[in-house]
Amino acid sequence: MRNAYLTYAARRIAQAVAVVLLAYVFTFVVVSILPGDPVSTILHDPQNGFTDEEIREIIAAQGLDQPIAVQLWTALSHFVTGNLGLSMRSGRPVATLLAEVLPSTLILASAGFAVALLLAAVIAYGTQFLPARFGQGLLRGFPSLFLSVPNFVIGLVLIHAFGFQLGLFRVIEPNSFWATLFAALALGIPISAQIAEVLIANLDHEARQEYAAVARSRGLGQVGLFVKHLLKPSSLPVVTVIALTIGELLGGSLITETVFGRTGVGSLVQRSVTTQDLPVLQTVVSLAAVVFVGVNLLADLVYPLLDPRVTLVGSGRSRQAGAEDPATQTTEAVTA
Amino acid sequence: MREKINLRSLTRRRVLAATSVLAAAALLLMGAPGPAHSAEPRNGGSIIFLIDSLGNTWIPNNSAISSFQGHIWGHVTDKLVYVDADGKVSPWIAERWEQNDAATEFTLHLKPGVTFSDGTPLDAAAVVANLDIWYAGRKGEGINPIGLFPKTYERAEAVDPQTVKVFFKAPTLGFIPTLGYHGSILISPKTLAQPAAHQADLGKTSGSGPYVVEAWKEGDFVRLAKRKDYNWGPPAVGHTGPAFLHTITYKLVSEPSLRVAAVQSGQADVAYSPSPQELKSLKAEGFTISTPRYLGFVNGLAINTKQAPYDDPKVRQALQAGINRQEIIDTVYTPDWKLATSFIQSNVPGATDHSALLAYDPEKAGKLLDAAGWTKGADGIRIKDGKPLTLTLHSNPYLATSKAIDELIAQQLGRLGWKVTIRAFDVATFGEKVRFARPGVPAYEVTRSFIDAGTVASILTNANNGENWFALDESDPTINALRDKISGAASLDIRTPLLDELQKYVLEQGYFIPRTQIVQRIYVQSPKVKGETYNGIAYASYYTAFKGE
Repeated sequence: MRNAYLTYAARRIAQAVAVVLLAYVFTFVVVSILPGDPVSTILHDPQNGFTDEEIREIIAAQGLDQPIAVQLWTALSHFVTGNLGLSMRSGRPVATLLAEVLPSTLILASAGFAVALLLAAVIAYGTQFLPARFGQGLLRGFPSLFLSVPNFVIGLVLIHAFGFQLGLFRVIEPNSFWATLFAALALGIPISAQIAEVLIANLDHEARQEYAAVARSRGLGQVGLFVKHLLKPSSLPVVTVIALTIGELLGGSLITETVFGRTGVGSLVQRSVTTQDLPVLQTVVSLAAVVFVGVNLLADLVYPLLDPRVTLVGSGRSRQAGAEDPATQTTEAVTA
Repeated sequence: MREKINLRSLTRRRVLAATSVLAAAALLLMGAPGPAHSAEPRNGGSIIFLIDSLGNTWIPNNSAISSFQGHIWGHVTDKLVYVDADGKVSPWIAERWEQNDAATEFTLHLKPGVTFSDGTPLDAAAVVANLDIWYAGRKGEGINPIGLFPKTYERAEAVDPQTVKVFFKAPTLGFIPTLGYHGSILISPKTLAQPAAHQADLGKTSGSGPYVVEAWKEGDFVRLAKRKDYNWGPPAVGHTGPAFLHTITYKLVSEPSLRVAAVQSGQADVAYSPSPQELKSLKAEGFTISTPRYLGFVNGLAINTKQAPYDDPKVRQALQAGINRQEIIDTVYTPDWKLATSFIQSNVPGATDHSALLAYDPEKAGKLLDAAGWTKGADGIRIKDGKPLTLTLHSNPYLATSKAIDELIAQQLGRLGWKVTIRAFDVATFGEKVRFARPGVPAYEVTRSFIDAGTVASILTNANNGENWFALDESDPTINALRDKISGAASLDIRTPLLDELQKYVLEQGYFIPRTQIVQRIYVQSPKVKGETYNGIAYASYYTAFKGE
């Protein structure tokens, strides 16, 4: 068992490293085949008045006329040794740029994540115990509504209502407490929907089980039933969904940051994409790949440890389907 | 598309809400006595300026001409001379200057006692270091030369700490005005000696201007604080001592309606680049709207005379007469925009009025096309030798209203029998594919400032590193002779009539098709802010500004 687990872990880690390196190379190729680069974009600005010849000369002086393979090799060898290089757009070290924006994004992402979890829990709880005449059906519609309204629309509505109408925050101070809270709401609302949907489906399933009826008949209140018995078995699939929403948090933070005028990884990516700032883009894409792969790796590695019913089949690659089958979990929960 | 609709409806609601607040404010103000306009400059206070971008790099040479960073550089640095909105050159750091008769040697006498914010004196050696890097840059390091700095520059030497002598390989009458151009910002030689990655950190760059960078964050904001010992402002703005406002914060807000709404709700003082359609209502609400024009070319089309059918002067002249310029102003802009009177803006010294050549005359255009052999086919499109009369317009991504104007022109020319295709590219693709006089680009849309009209003739033609806008090469001896005479002119008395001749000739030949005079920088300002000045490149300077009650 232990040996099999170690082989499994080593294999998954090696896969993760390969994915990150592939993401790096892929970004390079995709951005390189697009026309232009930040240096020549600046040079081509008609205000500059450079002739074609001067532009060629300046580009050659910076090695940007080298074949793509040569440029990729140089970049990759620097990247592997931890040298992230200089931003082509601003001329500043990529590591400095990233260090400037990372804290703001981490705050927004964690706040957005907390909002998503809280909202999902509240909605899920409501769908179980809110009497139908108090709008249980309406509450059940919330996740679909949240999913279908684009993130930026939620952001603009929140800014308009709470920023301009109620004056709770100033748009020009996007890092203030209230502005951060509303940005986190804009980010967290669509994500909460996915978590809530899975949670509601599982809660519905669990609530119909006999053990729930037994617990109720023993006089357990709704809150107690929810917290003590229903939440835990309904949450395991949610862990998988949460691992996937990390990607949404990264993507959503880009839009939310732009709408709220926050400076973060999202706005850095936006500026870098519009100017094709390759060194920054590669670093951010690699970082996103590391985070995404890392979180999923963690989920994969933790699953067999947490749930003894997850067995490492064959070469130890896949999880057994049983873990996700609510029926098995129910029996487990009843005996527990 | 959906996004736009949402934004628009939001804006309308916001405008409604803001209007009611403003109406209340206006009532209060009317009750208050005392004229606000004659108020004395008041020390203190701070303003917040909302801008759509803070550009790319802060390496001074690479960013000085940027439409965005120029706002910061204008407060953090000084220039050798000052050029006002009418192109008038006056002393600044250079107190006076002389030139030889051939305009190949210039002597600059510097104001004593000027220092950069790092304590280095702004003396002759510092000026030489700046001239050298403007001319040559350090290309291998990623520090570009200043594109419009005279290519005829030879060298500069410090005669004594207060005197600089500058030598040119050929007559360069435009040298002194160029010193007031936004590329010519004076930076401490200590900063200039640093590698590019160091220069890219705005906080480490020292200028001699009335403000210093107190704090900044890339893609977020730049906060400027006043320099208390500043005492060398340009006399032309009527004030030379320290600035009045304590801080100026340039804050990036990329959404135009948010910028305007923030000023309307009093959360900020100035919004840059609102959409022209909003200006009328903002003006009615009492906000100060400024649409200063820069010195430069008007917005228009440079025609590629190698591309058929534009090798035929009659077709070019038909194009000149077939565009209704007043309709552009009425439809796309507001009356703040002015009709073009030449191919250079009317505030440029040496610009002459050739409105008659730019009158809308569809009848004349039709006759010219008939004479050139283009006859209307069944579908209304003119045909010659089986080929339709086509024009491809590449909308200029540097001007937000460009595509709307192209669409209007397409309608106007369509009525005359033209088949107009509009292509819109992003900035990167545009820079790569669309250049002056390139095959497949019959018309290049110009947005370009310059300080001295003397450089114009060289830009239009192929000599002196010129850009050969109309692909004429050596085929038109008239324009080339004019260019040689203009660049060889050692005085304005000789040059001005030649410039007039050049303008008339270029418009008559239909080489350049003006659209409107260009306003690239639009400001919406709170009525509390007063006293700002606009220079020859249409930048607002808040050095002279103050905040009223």
